[in-house]
Amino acid sequence: MSTRLVPPATREPAGSTELRAEVRAFLSEQLAAGAFTPSVDAWLCGWDEAFSAALAERGWLGMTVPKEYGGHGCSFLERFVVTEELLAAGAPVAAHWIADRQIVPSLLKYGTELQKREFLPAIAAGRCFFGIGMSEPDSGSDLASVRTRAVRADGGWTLTGTKVWTSGAHRAHAFIVLARTSPVDPAHRHAGLSQFIVRLDGPGVEVRPIVSMSGGHHFNEVILDEVLVPDEMVFGEIGAGWSQVTSELSFERSGPERVLSTFTLLAATAESMAAQQIDSDAGLGRLVARVAGLHQMSVAVAGALERHESADVPAAVVKVLGTSTEGDIADFADLRAGDDSRITPSLRALITEAVDQRPGFTLRGGTNEVLRGVIARGLGMR
Amino acid sequence: MTTDEHGVPAGVDRDLVHLMNAVFTDYREAHPHPRTSHLDTELWSHLDRLGLARLTGSEATGGSGAGWPEAAELITAAARRGVRIPLAEHDLLACWLLEAAGAPVDGTVRSACLLDESGRATAVPWASSVDRLVVVWPGPAGHLLADIDARDLRITPDTNMIGEPRDEVSADLSTLTGIPVSADLVSRFALRAALVRSLQVCAALDTILELAIEHTSTRVQFGRPLSKFQAIQHLISDIAAEAALARAATEAALSTALDSDWSASNVHFRVAVARSCAGHAVSVAVRNAHQALGAIGTTIEHRLHEYTRAALAWRSEYGSVQHWDSVVTQAALRAGEDGLWELIAD
Repeated sequence: MSTRLVPPATREPAGSTELRAEVRAFLSEQLAAGAFTPSVDAWLCGWDEAFSAALAERGWLGMTVPKEYGGHGCSFLERFVVTEELLAAGAPVAAHWIADRQIVPSLLKYGTELQKREFLPAIAAGRCFFGIGMSEPDSGSDLASVRTRAVRADGGWTLTGTKVWTSGAHRAHAFIVLARTSPVDPAHRHAGLSQFIVRLDGPGVEVRPIVSMSGGHHFNEVILDEVLVPDEMVFGEIGAGWSQVTSELSFERSGPERVLSTFTLLAATAESMAAQQIDSDAGLGRLVARVAGLHQMSVAVAGALERHESADVPAAVVKVLGTSTEGDIADFADLRAGDDSRITPSLRALITEAVDQRPGFTLRGGTNEVLRGVIARGLGMR
Repeated sequence: MTTDEHGVPAGVDRDLVHLMNAVFTDYREAHPHPRTSHLDTELWSHLDRLGLARLTGSEATGGSGAGWPEAAELITAAARRGVRIPLAEHDLLACWLLEAAGAPVDGTVRSACLLDESGRATAVPWASSVDRLVVVWPGPAGHLLADIDARDLRITPDTNMIGEPRDEVSADLSTLTGIPVSADLVSRFALRAALVRSLQVCAALDTILELAIEHTSTRVQFGRPLSKFQAIQHLISDIAAEAALARAATEAALSTALDSDWSASNVHFRVAVARSCAGHAVSVAVRNAHQALGAIGTTIEHRLHEYTRAALAWRSEYGSVQHWDSVVTQAALRAGEDGLWELIAD
């Protein structure tokens, strides 16, 4: 048995240095124009449709979408490079994040021609935003237990149930719902699940805010009351929902957003230490080194995904380490932010945001406890 | 760096890697309890005959003409079988210094060290066991290098916690004559030495992980193998994750170094990152593996200590973990808020 869980590093594609430079120049312009303020967890909290539109104009949305569907025909690694730069800068990318990260690869893999024509050009243009409809009040980590039902109706399916933690549902246009299309078979719990594209402004759909403890509104509960979904909005195959959902998890788990959610805070903390507002401490170097190592590791996983290799275990490794480090950065800074500290108000604000967002880092996209189980399975322990 | 399905890096001959593994496996079968505090000259001669003792030396000077990727496999093969031998010190450090300085090289076993202004060096690996030492010291007009018979140096034997010779060396600098070498060569020596230990730590971490999986999969308590308990799975998953991070950072440092022949401006940063990640990975791996193996893992009978204690020893050589954390910290402070990402990504 090999204990090598993460593939060796991949060289970044030719031209990535130039691409990074282009994105950095764009970000400097945007910052100079006051278009955004770098923030913590901006891929969840930074909803800015004008910024998304500006990215679309540069060709940085729907990068992996083929040109015939309004995209840019770029590689997954090129998208990786662009998103890494945006996240490191704390840019407000929440509006398009789910659509661009998750819905694009899913549509390309499972979408019908009609669905691709309808959604891909709009996503690439920054005009169509998506949410995720997986979790339910009684189904968190145990996704196979979802209870939202889809019942055959004339020309489609009628969906009834409740989805939770749908980020951006109050502003997005549609979400992909995982629902049960046949009753639970205790011997095959993962069978009988299907996915549907559901418009959030349609009849029978009610979006209720779930306000975070900091007062922010990012999450929602979405109640589906006999929502009619036409046959052409069935996503993928009826009954194949589980494999569709799980096959895309590596994209969701190994991305730079699992490492860089607090990078702006790390950078601001370094600045504060350099200005001797906080004491010099080698603990900062430990965190910078981890982020640097994780950058190498997530590039390696991106390379594996580009080569269509299975990457569920290395993606879990990146996410466990990356999200823990994101939280450690929040704590490192917070430990130095007393009422006697000489830190700037802007750093103090970043720290407050970071400690408030921190619990979510190791929950969303699969809790670290579940992911450690994925790693253990990869090691042959279960 | 890519690897084939057997984990052998691209460009490295698979038969060669097989040979390396076989040599050390056979050695451990014949020597279940090897002495670590002295050089096994019989093993050394065997390695020399196989062309493994001076693997990266130029063929013109009697070396095998291989590169770092092969040397990394050799160091790893020895570490994974708990064989202590100064292959890296001899080949990648001492003989490399001689070749780089244009000095003659022969088949004599060597180690190397940097002496301070008073002619002293501490924790010099294997000084008391080798025949010659390549020493570098700060002269009035820059660094000087000499290849010296060990008998002409004052060597006070000492060891690290796993018994490898780590000796004090002192020389009367006024009596030495040396060849001038650049400051760049001196800093490369330090980076090469640091990266060797990083590779050794990675090898130890991988073996710690394997031993932890092996033990918990076979040891039955409460009617099931320990590996079926989530608490145990989480301990071991964290070892695996930390080992993977150490390896990713170490391979990145090595690639950066080799791609630029050690001249890229960020080699120092990448090596520091590797040493930091590897060093902190050891904390988790040693703690969790000993927890998972229970009391038996703390005994001399069990092999675990050959890797946990080695990892602890090696992470502290050629700079403590805190030292390397500080190097990264200082680089981050110089980069500041606007330059930190470039420092990491470029």
